[in-house]
Amino acid sequence: MTTMTMAPPAVALHGVSRVFGRGPSAVRAVDGVTLDFPRGSWTAVMGPSGSGKSTLLHCAAGLERVDAGQVLLGDTDLTVAGDAELTALRRTRIGFVFQSFNLIGALTAEQNVALPLRLAGKRPSRSAVRATLDAVGLADRARHKPRELSGGQQQRVAIARAMVTRPEVLFADEPTGALDSTAARTVLDLLRAMADAGQSIVMVTHDPGAAARADAVVFLRDGRVVDRLAGADARAVADRLAAWER
Amino acid sequence: MLGMSRAGLAERWTLFVGALLSVALGVALVQSSLLLLISAAGANSDDAAVPMLGITLGGATFLAGFIISSTFAFTVDQRRRDLALLRLVGGSRGQVRRLLLGEALLLGLGGAAIGVPAGLGVMSLQTWLMRRFEFVPPDFVGEWRMWILGVSIGTGVVLALAGVLVAARRAARVRPLEALRESGAAARLMTAGRWVAGLFFLGGALALVIVAPHGGPAGGQAMAMNVAMPAAVTVVAFGPLLVPVLARLMPFGGGVLGALARANVRDARRRSASVAAPLIVLIALVVGNTGAGESFTSSGIGEVARSTHADFVVEAPVPARPGVATVSSETMLPAEIVTGSGEDRETTDVTALAINPRAYAAVHGTPVELTGNGVARGPGGEVPTDGSVRVRLLGLSPGSPGADLGDLPVVAAVPEMMSGGASLLMLPGQVPAALLEKAPTRSFVALEPGADASAVRADLARFGPVSTLGEWLKADAEERNSTNDKVMLVVLGLGGLYALIGVINSMVIGAATRRREFAEARVTGLTRSQVIRSALLEAYAVTGAALLLGALAASAAFFAVLSTTSAVTGTATLDLPWPLIAAVAAVALTVTGVTSLITSWSATRHPPVTLLAARE
Repeated sequence: MTTMTMAPPAVALHGVSRVFGRGPSAVRAVDGVTLDFPRGSWTAVMGPSGSGKSTLLHCAAGLERVDAGQVLLGDTDLTVAGDAELTALRRTRIGFVFQSFNLIGALTAEQNVALPLRLAGKRPSRSAVRATLDAVGLADRARHKPRELSGGQQQRVAIARAMVTRPEVLFADEPTGALDSTAARTVLDLLRAMADAGQSIVMVTHDPGAAARADAVVFLRDGRVVDRLAGADARAVADRLAAWER
Repeated sequence: MLGMSRAGLAERWTLFVGALLSVALGVALVQSSLLLLISAAGANSDDAAVPMLGITLGGATFLAGFIISSTFAFTVDQRRRDLALLRLVGGSRGQVRRLLLGEALLLGLGGAAIGVPAGLGVMSLQTWLMRRFEFVPPDFVGEWRMWILGVSIGTGVVLALAGVLVAARRAARVRPLEALRESGAAARLMTAGRWVAGLFFLGGALALVIVAPHGGPAGGQAMAMNVAMPAAVTVVAFGPLLVPVLARLMPFGGGVLGALARANVRDARRRSASVAAPLIVLIALVVGNTGAGESFTSSGIGEVARSTHADFVVEAPVPARPGVATVSSETMLPAEIVTGSGEDRETTDVTALAINPRAYAAVHGTPVELTGNGVARGPGGEVPTDGSVRVRLLGLSPGSPGADLGDLPVVAAVPEMMSGGASLLMLPGQVPAALLEKAPTRSFVALEPGADASAVRADLARFGPVSTLGEWLKADAEERNSTNDKVMLVVLGLGGLYALIGVINSMVIGAATRRREFAEARVTGLTRSQVIRSALLEAYAVTGAALLLGALAASAAFFAVLSTTSAVTGTATLDLPWPLIAAVAAVALTVTGVTSLITSWSATRHPPVTLLAARE
């Protein structure tokens, strides 16, 4: 947190809590987390299973209601935004990538990529869509449906779909979780190039190798931020994770 | 959005074929019933044909609305994950709604395009049935009207849009996060809409049950016959709560497959309820209405048996004979009565009976005083009990002359009876001799104490066909029941078939989205045949629950039957068509069993690994 403190963070969480269930069986998935995700930087969130990392990501992206605290995307307070406002944000300022790709099976790769723009009422030019697909190396697969693509290719289409709106922040939940190591490396290279070009990325992962590609790693345990590493290699990340898993 | 609708249609074709089929058959049924009703109303057909077709049209519209909306709701429910995904990438609630309404519009138009020609086939089938049962003359044909095109397309589109409206509103509220869960979170089971609909129709069914015994013979019967429909909708609305509970009580047999089937029934409440819904309506309508019809017939026959003090019935006039104490010769004359005046003027076709009041009173146990030019209201009702009515006797065959008797005072009334009968009692002297001679006469003969019954019978046989009162009642009951059955077949036959197709539809739609679940079961160690057997057990449990719930809805109608027959005749009567009930249950179990086998066999065609490895 040196130079990054100059610019306002891409996403800021202040005392955010999210509780599932009620009474004695209630689980505090996120427990009073205060955290900044710096602008123009790639932050990985790690932690043991059940540490609340996915819930934290969902809260930060406005997909999950919070029980306490505040989530700011730039200067927009997501915790008070209504459904229409959140929908508009998903079209313009937030992009998502998930472990299970979540492409629409009925649509071709280029139709999937164009979808967020069309939902926003724009008529994206074919060349703009092709350019986005080209950026993830899939210009030649534009007319294929998801089931005709490999897992890695599907994930790259999902990234193209997330990036086509030029979002302020890209949220990625285990983006390499369902991929083999070669496909995972391609996807991580892509994310690295995007971050280097100034894209803010928040990524949840359990893979130290993936986390090590990020600019910083935040460790979560029992819903709380317990540690933070910057510029560490995979070995250092793995050691730290192992320490917290113990 | 229309482009996405089209892409969606192409992708999820099994869901949409089911929805399309429900619209097409619904349109066909409504179109055919409407065309036949219009044709019958214009033609010179049996009096029963027009009201019967009216009921058929009402039933067809109800079934079409019901089956289409439940099929559409189910298809939308099966796509929650897709819709959540759309929300995740920036789709608004309005866009989800518009997408679903766009699909419904396409399905409505497509369904109508198939339904219009299919309706012609349905019409020739219905016409054939009605001609065969002589509800219409042999030369009766349902006529095509050009405007029916507009009506049918409108029916398809309106039913499809109305069917998806509630489901679309519900789907638009789906949260984007649901896209991230593997199977999509189960939707809330009992929505506010379900509660409102359930309680509303429960109120309607209760009101009919409560009011029916006070409605007199005709009104009471009509109300009791209408209980099954709202009762069925009530049970269906509470289906997601009731079906799984009952299904779990079914005997699954021991073992792991039974346990798996039981767990699936508990887990997939919406699916179970969607499969059960058309079955519940089918059972409730068929069993409830035929049971009520048969019960009212028995009740009416019982009432006649108790109130008639005669030994023989002769289909001819009978003079005084040795051994005979009383003869009530009753001549049946078709008549038309006009009541009220000005705007309230109403013309009704009735049967008038020319009687000897003293003999009639002795045989039927109810005193009638006919004085001067007066008439009496008969057991068939339809005539006011005081004031005057204008009476016109009709010719006995088309074209033959009748007789206008002018305004006659109503001076007496006999109690209305469950079995109906003549509406007007008059003296033979009021009827022109030419009519009286030709009209059919039935004589009720009571013997003197100690008379030789067989000798009198032989003597009476010289006048016309003789039967004992018991034989005559039995023949009457058989004829009425046969008419009942024919009416039910015309009114409910095709509707029942449609509901059955609705059941198959729901099962096919349910199975289409279960490939992955089946594959998971197989990689866990189940063989393909075990998966199929477990799905079959589940189908039987849901069918069993639907049979019970359909019976529950039908029993609401039976409750109204019991209270109405008790109020009208003094004896509560329930006479159920057990062979029909058994046949309906057997058909339901066979259809769901075979459908389950075919769908689960087809869904497990590919090796499980190809399904589990390839994911979107």
